[in-house]
Amino acid sequence: MPETTPNPWNDPTAKPLIQFKNVTKRFGNFTAIEDLNIDIYEKEFFALLGPSGCGKTTMMRMLAGFETPTSGTILLDGQDISPIPPNKRSVNMMFQSYALFPHLTVFDNIAFGLKRSNMPKGQIADRVQEMLRLVQIEKFANRKPEQISGGQRQRVALARALAKAPKLLLLDEPLSALDKKLRQETQFELMDIQEKTGTTFVIVTHDQEEAMTVASRVAVMDHGKLKQVDTPDRIYEAPNSAYVADFIGEVNIIEGHSTTQRDTVSIAWAKGQPEIIGTLSKPGMDGNVTFLIRPEKIVISAEKPTDRRNTFQGKVVDIAYLGNLSTYYVQMPNGQMIKAQAANSRRRSSRPFTWEDTVWLSWTDTAGIILDR
Amino acid sequence: MRRFTWFNATSLTLGFAFLYIPMLIVIIYSFNESKLVTVWGGFSTKWYGELVQNEAFLDAALVTFKVGLVSSVIATILGTMAAYVLVRGGRFYGRTLFSGMIYAPLVMPEVITGLSLLLLFISIGLDRGIVTIILAHTTFSMCYVSVVVSSRLVSFDRSVEEAALDLGCTPFDAFRSVTLPIIAPAVISGWLLALTLSLDDLVIASFVAGPSATTLPIKVFSSVRLGVSPEINALSTILIGIVALGTVTASITTKRAVVRRRHEQQMAVQAG
Ligand SMILES: Nc1ncnc2c1ncn2[C@@H]1O[C@H](COP(=O)(O)OP(=O)(O)O)[C@@H](O)[C@H]1O
Ligand SMILES: [Mg+2]
Repeated sequence: MPETTPNPWNDPTAKPLIQFKNVTKRFGNFTAIEDLNIDIYEKEFFALLGPSGCGKTTMMRMLAGFETPTSGTILLDGQDISPIPPNKRSVNMMFQSYALFPHLTVFDNIAFGLKRSNMPKGQIADRVQEMLRLVQIEKFANRKPEQISGGQRQRVALARALAKAPKLLLLDEPLSALDKKLRQETQFELMDIQEKTGTTFVIVTHDQEEAMTVASRVAVMDHGKLKQVDTPDRIYEAPNSAYVADFIGEVNIIEGHSTTQRDTVSIAWAKGQPEIIGTLSKPGMDGNVTFLIRPEKIVISAEKPTDRRNTFQGKVVDIAYLGNLSTYYVQMPNGQMIKAQAANSRRRSSRPFTWEDTVWLSWTDTAGIILDR
Repeated sequence: MRRFTWFNATSLTLGFAFLYIPMLIVIIYSFNESKLVTVWGGFSTKWYGELVQNEAFLDAALVTFKVGLVSSVIATILGTMAAYVLVRGGRFYGRTLFSGMIYAPLVMPEVITGLSLLLLFISIGLDRGIVTIILAHTTFSMCYVSVVVSSRLVSFDRSVEEAALDLGCTPFDAFRSVTLPIIAPAVISGWLLALTLSLDDLVIASFVAGPSATTLPIKVFSSVRLGVSPEINALSTILIGIVALGTVTASITTKRAVVRRRHEQQMAVQAG
């Protein structure tokens, strides 16, 4: 996204395409979505991320019109959509199961929605051809869904949902059936299509890498509640809770007690250990805090580094070799385990540390995040 | 491949003999020259000729086919609607009662169904005839249709219907253009079942049939009570022929469909 145009979510005058206002959804006495407030802007690629069962599909289904909120309102273009049935919404959904019509050919699947719009008959075939080209399945236009492979089916489902040029396209775990390599290729393809068509995409996923790759903004959900909505880099670098930090990537969570002097914070976290020094993210952070630091921001070394203030000695307990990098599980004298990651720039045989080695872990003042507890 | 053993061969022969010897006897004696059913008098097709001349039989056959056709079509429509509501309607007030009532005729003795329908028709003053037979057959065969159709509905992915709504169909349009084509095989087999049940029915029809209309099973049954005639044998042979033709056609069509599906799946695999 070019830096010259301000992002709409930072622009107070921008009008959101979708607004959830205090939306709650209950199934019987089970609350699937609780008091949700969210604004999604035009041309965004918005990702809903959360563990299975946290209410992602339910949110989508409310947007598509298959579920109605128990309370609260959903606005599309400033208009309350609750009285509008699914067939009258300019929202299309790509289903998790693709939901292709088995009795129709690929061509007719894509034409299905167009035939039910007020598009003149003559233009339908052209539009379908355009869609077939977009998702690169022209060759299979006359096949039935069961005569094509899983990846091709997924493209048909995407083309079908895009054909009517909806204001909003909902994608419910669209790539979960694909293997990793195909999934990554398709992610870039999706971003490409989103840019070409200028449609607003809302994608559901439980794969954090996928969300980080495709999305302009990511919403992290937990048990029907929104934990954080932000750009992928902010979600990663400035999570607002231990839950978000832990959900997106790996993180060390250290609990302690902080005292602030001017703009530095000292965190007492274990008896007999030096305090952790950090910088203040907001004023008034005395008291119980949680210190979060990503494993790749921790440097592991044999000698005590002198260029930084946070240095701690520990013992290597376990090593997870991941190919490109290794995660070292280092135990502190008080029993706290800290994960540190190092790139394997050399071959395995010359790995610098091994089990039971005593090592130094170190990080800069700004490497971690301090959160109120 | 299973191995051939004398035990298997004997059981197979006995089983087939048990099933088909009675029919074979009927077929053979339908070509009997003699009027005496149990005495072979040489080959002849004269009973078929006489059958064609027999107005009473022809009338009964016509009634039977009319009843079968009309009642099976109505039963298919009603049974499909009932199945749809039961499977897709979610929870509504009285759902359990409704489903129980739909399936009750399956276990109800036919005599009771027939008797209660008779009492109903008398009490509302409906003259017994072709209309009452059609109503009665619709009533008892629609539950069979509903069982067949609902088992298909249960096993199909709901989101396909939702996709149709999502793409701009009204609920009725979604049912017509997506649900119905998908469940069509079940609807057709439900209809065939209803048709067969109706053509076959003796008990219920004898309660509700009047002097103005008699079905073939009733006619056959009542004439057999006066003694089996070669004409009845000829009629039975024709019926056996029709049923055999139907069964063979049905099995060939299904087999073709299976082969075609396998072929298509292979093509999908090759398409990669
Ligand atoms: N129709 C329904 N009736 C009852 N519970 C439901 C229904 N739909 C979803 N739920 C429940 O709501 C929760 C959220 O579901 P869902 O939105 O599908 O989660 P996910 O984030 O995995 O997509 C789950 O616990 C699920 O069991
Ligand atoms: Mg889901």
